[in-house]
Amino acid sequence: MPDIVKLTIDGRTVYAPKEASVLEAALDSGICIPTLCHVPGLTPNGVCRLCIVELVEGKREKITTSCTLGVKEGMVIRANSPKVMRLRRNIAELLVAEAPNSKAIQDIAVRLGLRKVRYRFHEAECVQCGRCVRVCGEHWRSHALGFVGRGDQRKVMHPFGARPKSCRGEEACVDICPMTITPCIGPMGPGQGRLCGVCEAQTLIADRFPGTCVSCTLGRSFRCANHVWLGSKVELAKAVSRVASKVSAEEVAG
Amino acid sequence: MQKLGCVAELDGVREELAVERQAARKVVTVCGGTGCRAPGCMPVVEAARRQLERQGLTDSTRLRVTGCHGFCEQGPIVVVDPGGLFYRHVDPEDVGEIIAVSVARDGAVERLLYVDPVEGKVRPTESDIPFYVAQDRVLLDQNRVVDPCAIEDYIAIGGYTALVKVLTGMTPESVIEEVKASGLRGRGGGGFPTGRKWELCRAAHGTERFVICNADEGDPGAFMDQGILEGNPHSVLEGMLIGAYAIGARRGYVYVRHEYPLAVHHAHVAVAEAQEAGLLGDNILGTGFSFDVRIARGAGAFICGESTALMASLEGGVGEPRPKDVHTVEEGLWRRPSNLNNVETWANVPRIVNNGAAWFAAKGTEGSKGTKVFSLTGQVKNTGLIEVAMGTSLRTIVYDIGGGGVNGHRIKAVQTGGPSGGCLPVECFDLPVDFDTLAEAGSMVGSGGMVVMDERTCMVDVAQYFLRFLQDESCGKCVPCRLGIARMLEVVTDIAEGRGTEEDLALLEDVAETVAETSLCALGKTAPNPVLSTLRYFRSEYGTHIREKRCPAGVCRALVRYEIDAEKCTGCGVCLRACPHEAIAGERKQAHVISAGVCVKCGICRDECKFDAVAIL
Repeated sequence: MPDIVKLTIDGRTVYAPKEASVLEAALDSGICIPTLCHVPGLTPNGVCRLCIVELVEGKREKITTSCTLGVKEGMVIRANSPKVMRLRRNIAELLVAEAPNSKAIQDIAVRLGLRKVRYRFHEAECVQCGRCVRVCGEHWRSHALGFVGRGDQRKVMHPFGARPKSCRGEEACVDICPMTITPCIGPMGPGQGRLCGVCEAQTLIADRFPGTCVSCTLGRSFRCANHVWLGSKVELAKAVSRVASKVSAEEVAG
Repeated sequence: MQKLGCVAELDGVREELAVERQAARKVVTVCGGTGCRAPGCMPVVEAARRQLERQGLTDSTRLRVTGCHGFCEQGPIVVVDPGGLFYRHVDPEDVGEIIAVSVARDGAVERLLYVDPVEGKVRPTESDIPFYVAQDRVLLDQNRVVDPCAIEDYIAIGGYTALVKVLTGMTPESVIEEVKASGLRGRGGGGFPTGRKWELCRAAHGTERFVICNADEGDPGAFMDQGILEGNPHSVLEGMLIGAYAIGARRGYVYVRHEYPLAVHHAHVAVAEAQEAGLLGDNILGTGFSFDVRIARGAGAFICGESTALMASLEGGVGEPRPKDVHTVEEGLWRRPSNLNNVETWANVPRIVNNGAAWFAAKGTEGSKGTKVFSLTGQVKNTGLIEVAMGTSLRTIVYDIGGGGVNGHRIKAVQTGGPSGGCLPVECFDLPVDFDTLAEAGSMVGSGGMVVMDERTCMVDVAQYFLRFLQDESCGKCVPCRLGIARMLEVVTDIAEGRGTEEDLALLEDVAETVAETSLCALGKTAPNPVLSTLRYFRSEYGTHIREKRCPAGVCRALVRYEIDAEKCTGCGVCLRACPHEAIAGERKQAHVISAGVCVKCGICRDECKFDAVAIL
């Protein structure tokens, strides 16, 4: 029996195993916290900052990412306060302006209530969420991808620019990349003021239950909790067994 | 130096040194800090050595090359003791005269002494010079009397007595209590109470702990830690030894940036000397306490001054910060409890132990105790390294110590705290400089950089400069910092180039708040400060750029044009020859004209013109 701690998220009492993160505790309880860089089973790196919450300590509140924050007995969290929602929306705006060509990011932005982008659109092909790097290094132990450079020069690359032999070509990195999901031409295109019907229907529901998971299809593309936890685990397990059999076959042959 | 086996041997060495030092009739001190090496102090040292030999004074005179004296503006600096005659701008050719007059005899070479620019009077010694008089030099004073490459110098002035006091008569807990009582707060920028940090680290789980000295100073215009580590490395080592004893660490690291070659060299020499003397290593002074220090060089990333990024870099990884939900005093370097303090914090520790917490707490303000070293740079007369008690007003620093604006220009603002700090206008100059007051005013003490700006500075341009710096130096790991700073820069560049709109200011404030609240580490959390502080105090300048498409200071190139005043122009042709883009035309002795289409607004013609005929419109 694992140790269970009790904490409060958005006024609700939530129970979670003591090694869980606040994000996991919230998602398990049906509290909506959007994420981009988070992949269940991989080390959280706190990069996209979309999962920020307010940690209430006495009279002070501290903003931190829920994926890197471990649960503690008696912890008080505000996961969807107006301030958190506004900051998340601003982060989503930065993301969608940087990479409008990703449905995952479009959906996050729409889900967070972003209706207008105040920046010029860039056409970035990578938002450096680090999902590919972590799945490659941690899950496949291939370490065939890594970050190179600093600041605005930072990018994902193979070591020394060449695909190493450790890369088994399983393309888990591609599967997991938020940029590979074909974007919807509707919502966030430059100069387009309105959303498409699908999103409008979705946001209507989402807006009526702020902070609660309504199993919106907006979550499907960015593989949020209720859609991909299961799916992704199955996918990963399949992939693992595929590679395991391949490796053992190679060992037998070699 | 021989290995010191016990405390009595250290005392013995100190007494021997005192006798030996009394034999020298005169001491010639040459500042060998980086600031004085640039204008060429090393040839001065060589010349002094030759001249002492030639004039037969080698035996009765000590020649000492020290770290930074602080008054970098006046370098190379030579001081002759006793008497403390202060010679500035010394050329190698001048040294013979100085030695003949001031060393062989007791005279003074009048022409090389400092002249007060206000009153025009000669100020022969440091204690007469306003730059030094207005300061309270506790840490920096030792720089003048210590050769950083000679442990004997440090021992002779009472070095390592604090260590002895701690090892022989204090428990680790009482050391921590003493530091807590002193009110010392971290000098690296965060201002976290040092004693509290030590206590947390001591209480953390596990048996292996580390102490780390952060000497990865990267703020533009800041060189406090350089001055201390370069000029008095043993004081830093002694502080680390005391800290290690209090915390229970056996190993320490000095993380110093590779761009400080002299500091790296002096730190290496100091560690080797201390190891040789048995002041680092196993069973220090026979007390059973063991501690050793290694030096690691940083590869020039500003972000590596952040504690978790520094530790990642020390481990050999990429210098990127990690979330601090578990603090480094619990889980730092190699996931062990680690206590990181800045160079200046460590250097303060031996003084607190020797003089007592009450002595330290007597200086400063309610929340910020002791003295603080600042590097005073920018458009101010006396640039250099200064030290004042916490709570000294900006006015004292800029006008009394700094001597006011250069060439009579009116001072407009001071940028404190580097890229994480903000610009404070003249109206704020009466604020006491301490951690809390400056933070309330929208800036911060930071590690202690102060860049003075006069009326020729455009605040939009300043904001743009710092954003560009931060965009380059952000590690790029988290979204708000990487994308947010880039967008802020985009908006500010729009404003500086005349494309700004009224909505841009609200957008800037909005994105600034997002970056400040949600970034992963302190770099991002403080990155909007330069923008927010200039918006707060110089909003009208932004307004002029947006509404009138004009840069009042004449700095933003897209909004200015250069023209030659036909009445003032004598047709000398200097500007015509100086212009790298051949944008100036005109016959000899006739007024010249600038072709606006070709001109890139570099300003060379304006600097070259002797008749002030080139105007910025």
